[in-house]
Amino acid sequence: MTTVTSTGTPAPPVAAPGRNGETAGGDRAVATVSHTVLILWSIIVILPLLWTLLSSFKTSSEIFASPFALPAEWSFDNYVSAWSEAGIGGMFLNTVIVVGFALVLVMLLGGMCAYVLARFAFPGRRAIYYLMLAGLTFPVFLAIVPLFFVLRNIGMLNTLPGLILTYVAFALPFTVFFLYSFFRGLPEEISEAAAVDGAGEWRTFFQVMLPMARPGMASVAIFNFLGLWNQFLLPVALNTDQDNYVLSQGMAGFASSAGYAVDFGSLFAAVVITVVPVLIVYVIFQRQLQGSVSQGTMK
Amino acid sequence: MASVTYDQATRVYPGQERPAVDALNLEVADGEFLVLVGPSGCGKSTSLRMLAGLEDVNSGRILIGDRDVTDVQPKDRDIAMVFQNYALYPHMSVADNMGFALKIAGTPKAQIRERVEEAAKILDLTEYLDRKPKALSGGQRQRVAMGRAIVRQPQVFLMDEPLSNLDAKLRVQTRTQIASLQRRLGVTTVYVTHDQTEALTMGDRIAVLKDGLLQQVGTPREMYDTPANVFVAGFIGSPAMNLGSFAVADGKANLGDTHIPLTRTTIDALTEEDKGEITLGFRPESLDVATEGEEGAFAINVNLVEELGSDAFVYGQLAAREVAEHVTSGAGEAQLIARVDPRRPPMKGDKIWVKVRAGEAHVFSSATGLRLPA
Repeated sequence: MTTVTSTGTPAPPVAAPGRNGETAGGDRAVATVSHTVLILWSIIVILPLLWTLLSSFKTSSEIFASPFALPAEWSFDNYVSAWSEAGIGGMFLNTVIVVGFALVLVMLLGGMCAYVLARFAFPGRRAIYYLMLAGLTFPVFLAIVPLFFVLRNIGMLNTLPGLILTYVAFALPFTVFFLYSFFRGLPEEISEAAAVDGAGEWRTFFQVMLPMARPGMASVAIFNFLGLWNQFLLPVALNTDQDNYVLSQGMAGFASSAGYAVDFGSLFAAVVITVVPVLIVYVIFQRQLQGSVSQGTMK
Repeated sequence: MASVTYDQATRVYPGQERPAVDALNLEVADGEFLVLVGPSGCGKSTSLRMLAGLEDVNSGRILIGDRDVTDVQPKDRDIAMVFQNYALYPHMSVADNMGFALKIAGTPKAQIRERVEEAAKILDLTEYLDRKPKALSGGQRQRVAMGRAIVRQPQVFLMDEPLSNLDAKLRVQTRTQIASLQRRLGVTTVYVTHDQTEALTMGDRIAVLKDGLLQQVGTPREMYDTPANVFVAGFIGSPAMNLGSFAVADGKANLGDTHIPLTRTTIDALTEEDKGEITLGFRPESLDVATEGEEGAFAINVNLVEELGSDAFVYGQLAAREVAEHVTSGAGEAQLIARVDPRRPPMKGDKIWVKVRAGEAHVFSSATGLRLPA
């Protein structure tokens, strides 16, 4: 309170209907344009998927006769033949094993590595981080031949564990790079609170920091899953045993099998079998992405 | 419960020459509420973090009770800390947040539940136990952070500006709650704040730091009545103490036409380094409105009158322009603050005469800034 007291009436509310109207109109225009673009984009993405799904229920002749019609009969024959006769079943299992183990390993190792690099000061820390970045920029094509010999020398060529190991090494740099910035962004105070509460480093990591990094972990996991599930070059070069084929190899086999003999119905069924897990994983993890990082720590 | 002792504790941050905390010697008695206060960058938070074990001690020792904890991990120090931003675990419920330390310590579940519920009752959090921190208001989060400390039943509470994120009203409320809670639990507490009002109202004793150096330790009354140096004098008290540099002649402190008598002891305590000058401090409430020509009276041009209902404070400048900049309020600017009768405040632009009430001036050496005997 000062001696100079205000005796005036409160200022009238700022009324600018014209301007408000303009803004609303502008918003609507932007919304219309962006929605149109998004709808077009969705159609472009979804239609081929839908066409593949429909075709997977048709026979090969039906696909050629009426490519855009609904299948005459909803038959799962194509799926059965793709799964058992073409051996997609076995490849599916191989892929799940390889990608599953690789994903768990790479998330665990990548998370721990990124956490230590981001939050502890020790000599050589920057060097290790830059080595990781170098791994990110190194084209995998150049590594194929050395990788082949390394795996052969340790007796893991053409084995699933060998492929898992390669996948882990392949995905680690990106994982560390991504999670590094994520762990940097987590508030220091919380790990200090955990330290005062009596948590050791391991407990702090697994019970406090890792749960807080869940949105980051989820996004990296999705990226890694997509990349590894669709990985083609590495298995082609390092996993040539037919019994150990993964889905991408099977797909390629399907498409390149001699000209007229291609069973397009089964091919499309195999494609659907390959794509569906990716969609499922995305839908599940996508919910995790929505969590926010540091609720409760903000002012 | 235990006492806390800083013994020449020093912290130098890597890459810096000047220590953030320089040979701190401080004893906190068992059950005492000690407030570390100072401007930002004075080393108060660093001192607290050294006690918590979150900051290395480069030399010296820190003891909790009789135990040297200088090189002990935070988790083994038996302390609990309340952080400025609360540092609640966002993915855990309120109950889990509060019980986390006990869970780590391997306390049986039933006992954890019991202690958490007890603390929740004290802090009025019972209905929020199953919520996540993000679903709480700022004040509730602050209480959860307190609860997390209470549940531990530690030897020492450490609090790092726990009220700075609350709005003014809630801050005043929580201030008294924390102080009374601490008195009830009787746990030794070290509390860091930059707010001298918080320090005065909460602490059994206050320690003022500046540039990593301990300036003075004492009860709020001692700090207010007998500040040990110019810095403490200007820092403690709101509004701040007025400080002026005066020339000493004829047993008086002189500034322009103002002459304030000094005692024999004060004059004797002056040294050559003071170069015939002395720093006088007088609190806004030590000034009485006087009339022109009274001995020791000086004129103030009123710039602003701040009315608080119970009090009114005049912010002004010495009317004698050539010496006006010799008098500053503790805040630093060349201004002078005086408390006046709130029912008859002067107007902005007025010229009023005030004089320092006898015996209420603080005298400091102008060379060292240290308090001189009055």
